[in-house]
Amino acid sequence: MAEERREPTWLYFLIGLVVVLILAIATNKLAHWSAGLPLPGKMGKVLEYPLWAAVLGLIVNVIVTLTKTRPFIQPGVRTELYLKIGLILMGVRVNFQTILAAGGGGIIQALIMVTSVFLFCWWLAGRFKIPDTLRAVMATAISICGVSAAIAAAGSVLAKKDEIAYITALIIATALPLMVIMPPIAYALGLSPEVAGAWFGGNIDTTAAVVGAGTIHSARAQEIAAIVKMSQNALIGVVAFILALYFVTVVEKTGERPSARVIWDRFPKFVLGFVVMSILATIGLFTSDHIHMLKTLYKWGFAFAFVCIGLELSVAEIKKMGWPPIIVYTIVTIFNTLLALIVASIIFGIIFKPAA
Amino acid sequence: MNLSEDWMSVVVAAILVILVYIGIIGPNLISIKW
Repeated sequence: MAEERREPTWLYFLIGLVVVLILAIATNKLAHWSAGLPLPGKMGKVLEYPLWAAVLGLIVNVIVTLTKTRPFIQPGVRTELYLKIGLILMGVRVNFQTILAAGGGGIIQALIMVTSVFLFCWWLAGRFKIPDTLRAVMATAISICGVSAAIAAAGSVLAKKDEIAYITALIIATALPLMVIMPPIAYALGLSPEVAGAWFGGNIDTTAAVVGAGTIHSARAQEIAAIVKMSQNALIGVVAFILALYFVTVVEKTGERPSARVIWDRFPKFVLGFVVMSILATIGLFTSDHIHMLKTLYKWGFAFAFVCIGLELSVAEIKKMGWPPIIVYTIVTIFNTLLALIVASIIFGIIFKPAA
Repeated sequence: MNLSEDWMSVVVAAILVILVYIGIIGPNLISIKW
């Protein structure tokens, strides 16, 4: 995320952090309050803390935009950082066997989804005459993992900064409603928590919203959604390398060869942290008190990230590029949603059924 | 993706795990339940 950010000053970082902390505490209070409401069945679960956090983030987003005070908190608005810390710590809850089973299914699902969605988006954006750099950033973002993938792709194809900002805004504007409506749809379709989690992980573009949807659905769906999304995240480096290769040889014809080192450079290191935590917990390094405390901490990390998604949405960015990219993004998101449902149902409903 | 931010998440998480493991971060410090 830092490519489009100025270097944070410690003071502004601290101010932003305090604002996010206050909103996370308010989220906690609202979630406890709404849990006591007499809401009908599983639908009442939509009012879980990811929704409250995003709504509070959006409200403060409007306030800081109107008062032009965003720069004072922006360095502390770090969705990805808080989310990754949360995901690493969440590893303590996940048995390593589950990672192996769900990760295997997740990688197969990711290969099918990434290839199909990327190529469909690339083709459709071409039909709408969208510039190659924006096409590449959009196709990578929608097929892999939102903001991080958009930035990785932008590095490979030398996309403009405003193209990244635009796609980032579009990703968040799409992911927020999906985070809220997909869990009730999963219940209505009668999907198992495993298939629901794999569906969220395969479809929603940004990892924070994937975890949010899983949280709203169930603990099991959250676990599977996170693992499936991380399997997909792990492919960023490979796609970034292929894109760089394509742009230097086909689009720009510079004759330079990008280094395969980009595969490791772009590999999300937090995934390794998550796996290490799971192994440490599985071999019994932690007591139940440790695990309880680490679970509390990862939920704080997630709450911080959900608040930040609301804070980061920029409607002004979306207006800049006109309708064609929005139409392409919407059509590809619908395609992604349907394909992910079919693929997740086959892989996590029939082929792999990770033991709980 | 910002690589330094990626590594930063690993470092911060590791520090938090150590603090929990040696008992500096415990239920007395964080009492709010999710």
